[in-house]
Amino acid sequence: LTSVVELVEGCRLPVLRKNQENEDEWPLAEILSVKEVPGKKLYYVHYIDFNKRLDEWVTPDRLDMKKLQFPKKEAKTPTKNGLPGSRPSSPDRDVVRDHTGSLLPTTFCAYLSTAQCPRSTNLHPTLTLKIVRCQMNGTTRRLVPSQPGRKRKNCGTDEDSQDSLDGIPSAPRMTGSLVSDRSHDDIVTRMKNIDCIELGRHRLKPWYFSPYPQELTTLPILYLCEFCLKYLKSLKCLQRHLTKCNLRHPPGNEIYRKGTISFFEIDGRKNKTYSQNLCLLAKCFLDHKTLYYDTDPFLFYVMTEYDSKGFHIVGYFSKEKESTEDYNVACILTLPPYQRRGYGKLLIEFSYELSKVEGKTGTPEKPLSDLGLLSYRSYWSQTILEILMDLKSDNGERPQITINEISEITSVKKEDVISTLQYLNLINYYKGQYILTLSEDIVDGHERAMQKRHLRIDPKCLHFTPKDWSKRGKW
Amino acid sequence: MSKLSFRARALDAAKPLPIYRNGDIPDLNDCVSINRAVPQMPTGMEKEEESEHHLQRAICAQQVFREKRDSMVIPVPEVEGSITYYDRLYKGDFRQTKQLIHIQPFGLDNEQPDYDMDSEDEMLLNRLNRKMELKPLQFEVMVDRLEKASGNQLVTLQEAKLLLNEDDYLLKSVYDYWVRKRKNCRGPSLTPQVKQEKRDGSTNNDAYVAFRRRTEKMQTRKNRKNDEASYEKMLKLRREFSRTVTILEMIKKREKSKRELLHLTLEVVEKRYQMGDFSGEVLKEVSAPLAEKAVFPAPVCLPNGNRHKMESKIKTHKQQPSHPTRHLSAHSEPRFDFTRPHRKYGRRPRLDAAPRPPGRPPQRPHAIADGDIKQYDFHSSGEEDSPLSPSSEPDEENDPDGAFIFRRRDGCHYLAPLGEQRWCSPPGLAWLADPGQRNSLTALSVPRRWVGVSHRRLGRGGRIVLDRTSSDLDRALRLLDPDVFCPSTASVTHHHMHTDTHVNAATHTPPAARTNPQCSLAQLLSNIQACRVRYFRPRPLHENGKEGSKKDALQHDDRKGRGTFAVANNSRTSLSGLILGSICLSSTWKTPVARLLTVDGETVTMVSTDSVSKTLDSASAHFAASAVVSAPNQESKPHRAGINGILPCQGKLHTSTPSSTSSVRPSGGPPRPAPGVPQSLPHGLGPLSSVSAVSPAHAHHSARPCAPSPPALKLASVASSPDHVPRVAPGTAISSLARDKHEPERLALNGMAETTVAMEVT
Repeated sequence: LTSVVELVEGCRLPVLRKNQENEDEWPLAEILSVKEVPGKKLYYVHYIDFNKRLDEWVTPDRLDMKKLQFPKKEAKTPTKNGLPGSRPSSPDRDVVRDHTGSLLPTTFCAYLSTAQCPRSTNLHPTLTLKIVRCQMNGTTRRLVPSQPGRKRKNCGTDEDSQDSLDGIPSAPRMTGSLVSDRSHDDIVTRMKNIDCIELGRHRLKPWYFSPYPQELTTLPILYLCEFCLKYLKSLKCLQRHLTKCNLRHPPGNEIYRKGTISFFEIDGRKNKTYSQNLCLLAKCFLDHKTLYYDTDPFLFYVMTEYDSKGFHIVGYFSKEKESTEDYNVACILTLPPYQRRGYGKLLIEFSYELSKVEGKTGTPEKPLSDLGLLSYRSYWSQTILEILMDLKSDNGERPQITINEISEITSVKKEDVISTLQYLNLINYYKGQYILTLSEDIVDGHERAMQKRHLRIDPKCLHFTPKDWSKRGKW
Repeated sequence: MSKLSFRARALDAAKPLPIYRNGDIPDLNDCVSINRAVPQMPTGMEKEEESEHHLQRAICAQQVFREKRDSMVIPVPEVEGSITYYDRLYKGDFRQTKQLIHIQPFGLDNEQPDYDMDSEDEMLLNRLNRKMELKPLQFEVMVDRLEKASGNQLVTLQEAKLLLNEDDYLLKSVYDYWVRKRKNCRGPSLTPQVKQEKRDGSTNNDAYVAFRRRTEKMQTRKNRKNDEASYEKMLKLRREFSRTVTILEMIKKREKSKRELLHLTLEVVEKRYQMGDFSGEVLKEVSAPLAEKAVFPAPVCLPNGNRHKMESKIKTHKQQPSHPTRHLSAHSEPRFDFTRPHRKYGRRPRLDAAPRPPGRPPQRPHAIADGDIKQYDFHSSGEEDSPLSPSSEPDEENDPDGAFIFRRRDGCHYLAPLGEQRWCSPPGLAWLADPGQRNSLTALSVPRRWVGVSHRRLGRGGRIVLDRTSSDLDRALRLLDPDVFCPSTASVTHHHMHTDTHVNAATHTPPAARTNPQCSLAQLLSNIQACRVRYFRPRPLHENGKEGSKKDALQHDDRKGRGTFAVANNSRTSLSGLILGSICLSSTWKTPVARLLTVDGETVTMVSTDSVSKTLDSASAHFAASAVVSAPNQESKPHRAGINGILPCQGKLHTSTPSSTSSVRPSGGPPRPAPGVPQSLPHGLGPLSSVSAVSPAHAHHSARPCAPSPPALKLASVASSPDHVPRVAPGTAISSLARDKHEPERLALNGMAETTVAMEVT
C-alpha cells in the first residue's frame, strides 16, 4: 500500500524513533522533503514539538501510513490549474489516495506551502507564523528541497517587515550581531545538509544547516583538519593537507591556561580563514545564528584541551568587539563530543571573567537555544547562589544584598539576575518588602551541583587586556 | 487574603534584599502567591521553541530534582567513537611551550598551496612518475596556480605556460589532466570554497553564500571620519612606492645594458681595427647575407594581441642553448644592422658632404633612438599589472557587467585625449614648434620618389599621419630630382618648409604661412635650406609576407619600437591623409612617438629659432659646427660620445628631423657639407640599398637596442609625465631574455609580434 501513496511535503504522520531509553516512540512528524535514492524513497521528517536537530531522513517503513494527514488547503488559496480545490479543511485521516485518484491532491499539494497545514490544535508555532507571513505577502510557495540558488522567500521579522512586505529581498542589518533572521528560515536552511563531519578523532553528526561549499554536501563524510578546521573532501586530501598544515593550536594568542585547558583569542578580521572555518563548523550545531556577514566585528575565544597532539578545540564563543546591547557572547558552543561534561559552563564562566576584566556586565545574545537556556540558567543559578550562601551577617543583622551588587560582582546583567532569582523562586514579598529566601532544597541542590563542578576558571591564569575597539579605526 | 489586596511595589535593583534561610520565616507560605507580582522575565528563547518537548521535560526535571538526570537531558544526534587511524594521521610530537602562545597573525601563511591532492591525482602522479619526477607538493602548487588563475573560464595552455615554469611535457600532462578534472568537477573550483556574494545582489538570499562583506560604512565616529581619505592616501602611497621600485629596477637594467653595449661596441671596433676594416667593407659583407634572413625574433610584440604566442616563441628560443649567446654577441651586430638600418635620424650627412676620411670609423650619428624612449613609455597604463595576472579575471562573475566588464589590457596604453596646444613655444613661432601644424616639404620613396608638401599630424591613437597637400610648388617640386633626397646618395637633406599651400580643411594654417605669399622656386630653395625634408621610406616587405599585398598603403614600423610613421601615398588628389597606421599598430606603439615629438618640439623650436628668425650668430654657429666636428674625433670610442653631453643634444634634434648641421648652416646659403661630418658608408645592399649611413657605432647601437643611450633616457625621463611611468624597456627585455627566465610576462608585454610591420624612416 505504501508504494502507491502519494506522500508530499507537508504531510504529517507518526514516525518511529527511538527515545533515550531506546524505546520505540511514534511522535507525530511532518515531511519536509522527499528524495529518491536507488531502490527507495527517503523522507526528511521533522518531529513536531521536538527540536530540529532531531530531524532526519527516514525510510518508508518507519512511517505510520495509517495516520497520515494531508496538508490542508487554505480556502482562499487558488490551485494552479484553476480547479476549485474545495477540499474540506477539517482534519481527517482518510485522505490517502492511490495513483489514479491522486491528481487533485497532488496538484495542489505541490503548490501549497507549509503554511497550508491542517489547523489542528497542535499546530507547530513556526508554521502558524508562516501562515501569517505568507498571507501578508499574498503568495504561496512550494517547498522545493535542496534546490541550489533558489531565492528565498523573504518574510521579515517584526522589525524589518517593512522591507519584506513588498517582497523585496532584504538583507539582515549589518551591525555586529550574528542573530539569524528567522524569516530566512526556508527549506534549504531548515534541513541539515552535511551528513557527517570528521574532526580529529571524532565523527560528528551535524544538527543544522551550514553553508559549506555546496559540492561538499553530497559527501558521506566531510573531513576537517583538527587544528585549522579546513574542510576537505576526502581522507587522502586531509592527509595531504596535514603535511602542509603545521598548526597545532588555534591561530591566535593564548590568553588563558590552566592545566590542559587553554583559551585562544582570534580576531575575526585578522584571521579570516580560521574564523570562517570555525563559524562553518559551529553553524552545524547552532540553529539561530547566521553566517550572512563576514567575521570582522567579532573576536573568537576558542577553548582547547592540550595533549601531545596539540591543542584540541573543545568549544568556543564569539563576541562582538563593540556591542551596543551589552552582549558579551554572540555564539557559544561546546562541540558535541565534549558536551555534558561541564565545558559549556566553563565557557560561560570565561565569558563573564572577560566582562569582569572589562568592568562591564554582559549577557548572551538572544535568542538562546534550548541548550543555551539550560546552561545559562544553570550557570546563573550557581553563580548567584554561591554569592547568597557566602553572605555573612555582620553584627547579628540579617545579610542583605542588592540586585545591582549581584550584577556587579558577577558581571551578569541585571535582567538575568532577576530572571534567575525568579526562576529559582527566591524572590518573595514579605511584610511590605522583597526578600530572598533560600529554601532547603535549593541549598541542597546547589551544594550537590557544586560538588560536581570541577572545572572552574581561575582568574589568576587569565592574561587579558581588553582593547577599546571604539578608539581603533576599524574592528 | 488581605495581603493580596495591595499591590506589590516594583522590584528595585538598588534596594537591599534581606536573605532569609528556610525556616527563618514560619509564614513564608503566605508569600508564595505574591511572587507573581514580579513580572516574569523572558527566557530569551524563540517563543515557538520554548514549548519543545525535551526542553520542557528538562526544565521540569531541574525544578523538581534540582539537578540533571540523564534521562531528562535534551537528546542530541550522536557522536561516533574514536577514529582508528587518528594516531597515524596526526603526529603526536607536539610540546607545549612554557609561555602562553603568542602568534603573529600575518605570519601564518607560509605559501603552501591550498589545493590538496586526492587519490585520483595520486594515480596520475604515479603514472607520470614513471617518466619523470613529480612530487605531490609540486603537483599541488601547479594545480593551485591554475585554479587561482582561473575564473569563469579556465586558463589556456599558453597562460598555463606562463604560470608554471615547467617542462613542456609535464606541463601538458598536468594541464590536460586539470582541464578534464575541472570539467567533471561539480563545484566552481577544485579547491572548494564558500560561495561568495555577487555585487549585483542576486545572491542576497542564497543560503550557501556566507561571510558577505558589510558594505555599510562602519560607524563613523569623529576619529574615524578621515579613514577613507587616509585609505586612499595609503593606496596612492603604495602605488607610488611600487612605481619607484619599478623605475629603480629599470634603471638597474638600463645601466647594465649600457655597460654591455659599451663593451660590445668596443669589441667590434677593436676587431674591425685589427682587421683593417676602415671602410666598413667587412662589416657590410658580414651584414649583407644576414639581412636576407628572417628577422631576429625581437621580443617586442603587440601588447594587445599575441603575447602568449610570443611567449611560447621566446620559450623555444630559450630551449636552444646556443642561440641566446650568439645573438647577444657576434651575430647580433650584423643582424640588427639590417633590421634597423634606418636608425638615422636628423643627423644625416649632407648631400654634398665630404666623404668620410678613411681610417676612421664612421661617426656614430646619433645617440637617441626613439625606440629606446619608447621602451620606457611602454607600460604606463599597466602599472597595476601583476606578473601572474591572467587575462581571465577571477571575479568576473561578481561583476554585474559580466562579460562586458571593462578590463585594462596588459601592456595596452590608454591615451589621454589630445589637447589643442601641446607645445609651448614663443609666440609667433608656434607654427614652427608644432610639427603638426605646418606643412613641410617631404620626400617619400614610396610612392616612387614623391616629393611634395605635406603636413604631419598626430592621428587617432597616436598614429602619425601625413596629409599631403597640393601647392603651387608642386610643379617645381616635380622637377626636382627626387634622388636628391634619396638616401642612396648617401645623404639626406632635411628641409623644413612652410608654405602657403592649400591646406587641408582640418589643418590649421600657421600664421607664418599666411603671411607668406606664393613662393617662387628660389624661395622654395631657400626654404629648403632653412627647413628640412622629411623623408619616409618604407621598408621592403619581404620579411612580412602578410603585408606584401598592401603596396599602396604601407605602414612601417620600426621593429624596435622607434618612430612610427604612416605614409600617406594614396591618390594624388587626396588632401586628407590616409591613416596607414591602421594596418596593425597598436596604439601602444604610437604614443611614445607622440611623446617624443613633444620633447622634440621644444628642442626644435629653439634650434629653429636660431636658424630662421635670427641670423645665426657666429658664436653659436661655431659651437654647433664644432660640436659636429668634434664628433668624429670620438669615433674610436663612440660609446663615450654617446655618454657625454654632445651627442645627446644632437640626438634630440634629429629625431624630429632637423639636424644640428642644418641649423648651423647660414640661412640663404647653398647647402654645403658640414665640415667633418662623416659620411656613413653607403653599404646598404639588396633590398635595402637605399640605406645610408650606418656607422659602426650605430650598428652597435642597433645590435644592442637594449642599451638606451643617455640622451634617450633623458628624453624618456622628460617624456614621462608624472602620471606616466615607464615600465620595462623592450630592449631591456631582449637582453634579459636569456638570463632572466622568471619574467616571461614582462617579456611578453614588451615583446613584439611577428606580425608587426617593419617601418623605416630614412
